[in-house]
Amino acid sequence: MCIFSQTHGMSKRNLILIFALLVQIGFVQAQQKFTLSGTVSEANSNETLIGVTIAVPALKTGVTTNEYGFYSLTLPQGEYEIILSYLGFQDIQETIRLDRNIKKDFSLLETAEELEEVVVTDDAERLDIRKPQMSVTTLAAKTIKKIPVVLGEADVVKSLLLLPGVTNAGEASSGFNVRGGAADQNLILLDEATVFNSSHLFGFFSVFNPDAIKDVKLFKGGIPARYGGRVSSVLEIFQKEGNSKDFKVNGGIGAVASRLLLEGPITKNRTAFLVGGRASYAHLFLPLFDVDNKAYFYDLNTKINHKINDRNSIFLSGYFGRDLFSLSENFVNTYGNAVGNFRWNHLFSDKLFSNLSLIYSDYFYGLELDFVGFEWDSGIQNFNLKYDLKHYVDDKLQLNYGMHNTYYVFNPGRIRPNSPDSGIVEEQLTKKYANENAIYLDVEHKISDNLSMNYGLRASQFNRLGQDEFYVYENDNPVLFDPFTLIYREAEPIDTINPGRGGTLKKFFNLEPRVSASYNFNGKSSVKASYTRLAQYLHLLSNTSSPTPLDVWTPSGPFVEPQLLDQYAVGYFRDIQEGTFSFETEAFYKEIQNRIDYIDGANLIANKAIERIILNGEARAYGLEFLIRKNEGRLTGWLAYTWSKSEQRTPPRDLTAFGIDTGRSDLETGINLGQWYSTPYDKRHDLALYGSYELSKAWSFNANFIFQTGQPTNYPIGQFEFEGLAVPYYGLRNKERLPDYHRMDVSAILTPKRNDRKKVQSEWVFSIYNVYNRKNAASINFRENEDTGRNEAVRTAIFGIIPSITYNFKF
Amino acid sequence: MKREIFYILILLALVSCEDVVDVDLPETEPRLIVNGLLRVDKSQEFVDVRIEMRETTNFFEENTTTQVESAVIGYGVPNQFGELTQLAFSSLTEEAPNTGVYVPDPNFSSDQRIRTSEVELGVVFILQIQHKDKSYYARTEYAPTVPIDNLEQGENTLFNEEDTEIIVTFTDNPDHTNFYIFDFDFGNFQALDDRFIMGQQFDFSYFYDENLNPGQTITVSILGADRDFYNYMDLLVEQTQADGGVFQTPVATVRGNVFDVTGLDNIDIFDNVERPDEYALGYFAVVQEFSRSLVIE
Repeated sequence: MCIFSQTHGMSKRNLILIFALLVQIGFVQAQQKFTLSGTVSEANSNETLIGVTIAVPALKTGVTTNEYGFYSLTLPQGEYEIILSYLGFQDIQETIRLDRNIKKDFSLLETAEELEEVVVTDDAERLDIRKPQMSVTTLAAKTIKKIPVVLGEADVVKSLLLLPGVTNAGEASSGFNVRGGAADQNLILLDEATVFNSSHLFGFFSVFNPDAIKDVKLFKGGIPARYGGRVSSVLEIFQKEGNSKDFKVNGGIGAVASRLLLEGPITKNRTAFLVGGRASYAHLFLPLFDVDNKAYFYDLNTKINHKINDRNSIFLSGYFGRDLFSLSENFVNTYGNAVGNFRWNHLFSDKLFSNLSLIYSDYFYGLELDFVGFEWDSGIQNFNLKYDLKHYVDDKLQLNYGMHNTYYVFNPGRIRPNSPDSGIVEEQLTKKYANENAIYLDVEHKISDNLSMNYGLRASQFNRLGQDEFYVYENDNPVLFDPFTLIYREAEPIDTINPGRGGTLKKFFNLEPRVSASYNFNGKSSVKASYTRLAQYLHLLSNTSSPTPLDVWTPSGPFVEPQLLDQYAVGYFRDIQEGTFSFETEAFYKEIQNRIDYIDGANLIANKAIERIILNGEARAYGLEFLIRKNEGRLTGWLAYTWSKSEQRTPPRDLTAFGIDTGRSDLETGINLGQWYSTPYDKRHDLALYGSYELSKAWSFNANFIFQTGQPTNYPIGQFEFEGLAVPYYGLRNKERLPDYHRMDVSAILTPKRNDRKKVQSEWVFSIYNVYNRKNAASINFRENEDTGRNEAVRTAIFGIIPSITYNFKF
Repeated sequence: MKREIFYILILLALVSCEDVVDVDLPETEPRLIVNGLLRVDKSQEFVDVRIEMRETTNFFEENTTTQVESAVIGYGVPNQFGELTQLAFSSLTEEAPNTGVYVPDPNFSSDQRIRTSEVELGVVFILQIQHKDKSYYARTEYAPTVPIDNLEQGENTLFNEEDTEIIVTFTDNPDHTNFYIFDFDFGNFQALDDRFIMGQQFDFSYFYDENLNPGQTITVSILGADRDFYNYMDLLVEQTQADGGVFQTPVATVRGNVFDVTGLDNIDIFDNVERPDEYALGYFAVVQEFSRSLVIE
């Protein structure tokens, strides 16, 4: 540079000045990064959009909007072309001159139902391939509504079953199983609140109103550190907040249930509300058939959101759902969730976003048996505080950190006489209390153009708090083994102590590291790997093959250890033909410590001390998943296949832990003689094929086909008669399989030509569930025939062929 | 009673269908079944001792009768160390050839029948059997019970119009924890413990699955039980009523208290942990019984 050649002739003062100038230029250059931030929302409703890609092709970088539609991108000073893209919406391309911090909000317009291919920018697509996030699937609300399900009601949970790695225990089962995990191992979040029972009417419907849903994400593995508390998966659902531009109505009338959603502004562009409800009414027709039974559900979603200013927004929401099932007045069962939720988004700066959530939730179930004379109720309440921060340091580094705290009250049951002349004595099973808290740090780090990593640590602590009464057992052993009958049975407590609610019965602390990495090859394919450790402190006690409303959630404590999981996963992802097709495959291996199982004949209902009927064991699952998707064109859909194995083992206990030393190591048999046995949800093969064909603007056709290996079950190896009872007896657990499960569903959606003068948009959904009427065995039971007295095997199938019509409207 | 809640949920059938299907079941060797529930009626002079010996079969076939080489009941009150030193015996023999039913041998020099006056709380009964080169041993304690206060027919129905409801009333003994087994006839049983009804007069309803015709007589009995027999019957009822569809509970092989002691030198120190495949089925219990009859309208 010429400056140097001139320095010889310059005075010292000039030299210093030039130096200072150089340094100053250098400083300015190092500081010349500016932040572009803002919110992306839907143009017609101001509804924020989750997961919108904001790409900067020139720098091969970008960011996606978070759960509240916020994004923040810190780049060196310059002029850039920015492209926003989001499935179902028109792209936005803009040039931004970034020479200072800029706040820019974007509004995206929905694409009309066009049949030409939507041009998706190469770089924006490749961005997904680059992200280290693996084992996660996002489902668009539109897709959920197209998938045909029983009785014509669109259903989030049933749609998830079409994805690889997700199965369930059968048609009338509530809950779902992810990668060979149990149904209570799924963290289900609805607007940040934990949901304990995700279904209505024993699994026929889920508790999520599809009209109110904005975004659904399922994490099967590689779970980031901001989530914790359940070991198999995270199902995160965000609902719409409310249209702050116009008043809108959305609804549907179906064969069994109907729904209605109203949303609109209270103050335009500032405050909005949303109210949505669903109810079923099939029970009203039952009296026509002389049936005195009732089964119905209803749920209600209410929300208000208010934008205080550019840096602050608050959201207040409530959910209330109830199921009622009764058999002729004598037996009435009600249960449901109630959730109240307050959230506050606050921007500390254009790089630091925060959300504070205060949540109260109450899961209740009650039973009234008139002919025995009592009422029974039980439930779980929790108070939840979450503080999450997202720190967008720059385009290569994002830090997420925060703190969660939940206080639980468990009511295992209360029984009361329901009339003065009932012989029942009131009793309250001792309530249990616990506090779970966690802090986490999650780092999203783009190490190079090709390598990205997510790593983090969650530190969780669980305090099982004192309660009014607690049992003490001899040698601290609550389960006794009878070496003659080879049956475990409950021990009688030797004492009852009153620790009171102030103290702690037991504390658990766990560090949960999470790591995942993604290596990208030329933007078209990538390899990902992850390791996750998770701790679960709550357990659902259920000794049936799928959860029932009577199942009780119980906290870890002196007799029940937390479940600890290690999951390893590797995957390969590839885009084919510029994103028209995509191919994914993942292999996973999980090990879970402290998976509990029940002793034979365990009675869970009204059990004062469940520590007497459970044994600690371990579980493991491994498998391979494939998914091929066609994303564009008139015909879209996917093919998913999973091969997996899920088993558990409950070995004989080491009694020296209880201070019992007889010199023999084999004083017990364990369950199933201590050998590995299939879990009730082990499905060797799981195949799902889904297709959607847009014939014209008016008609679209959808179909899905599912095939699954039959569920593990037990067949008797013989039978004996005792006092007139014919009793089957069995060999080892879960060795047999029910017949394979398969069915096909179809639906046709008619959208009548939209007359622009008419404000109402409508569509008719015609669907047939189980078109070839296969009687899939939900269970096979062995019993004596009432009439002939001979033994027989009886298959129970839930649904045969069911056609249905639903009318959906919106205006 | 808690079981009843389960049964009701189990019997729910909203839109489900049931069909009888053919299933291939795994094979196994036959086992001895001892049907040894002795019901003691204190108003009679002797206990009606009838023990049926059978062998198991494949699930779809009827059990076959079998003969045993010897069957003896010993009974007495244990001493302060729990040992049985003074025992009376009752030797059993087959009532008639090939029936498999064993009663006190009428051809002994002394009377082998058991007097009800000798059966009181605290008396322990032992049963020893020799069958096909194997020895079996069972031990149980006599369980008294309270009588039925009232038995009447009700008018309610549970699932369908043809249900027959009966209402049973009895008063629990407040002195200790009691277990009761109700025999509703036709192989219907219900096990009950007194946890929620301590010392109270309690009535409850039972609904029959069977179609009962007006004029038909049913007999309802209440039987005493110790904890082991209560657990056994509870499990048996649960296993046989498991047409529960999707609310299936884990299956269990309900072993009972008749143990295979073949080749063991000392019966006092043994267990089945190392020999999980050697067992007999059925139960040996000595319990008090009260019965009432009712004519269905």
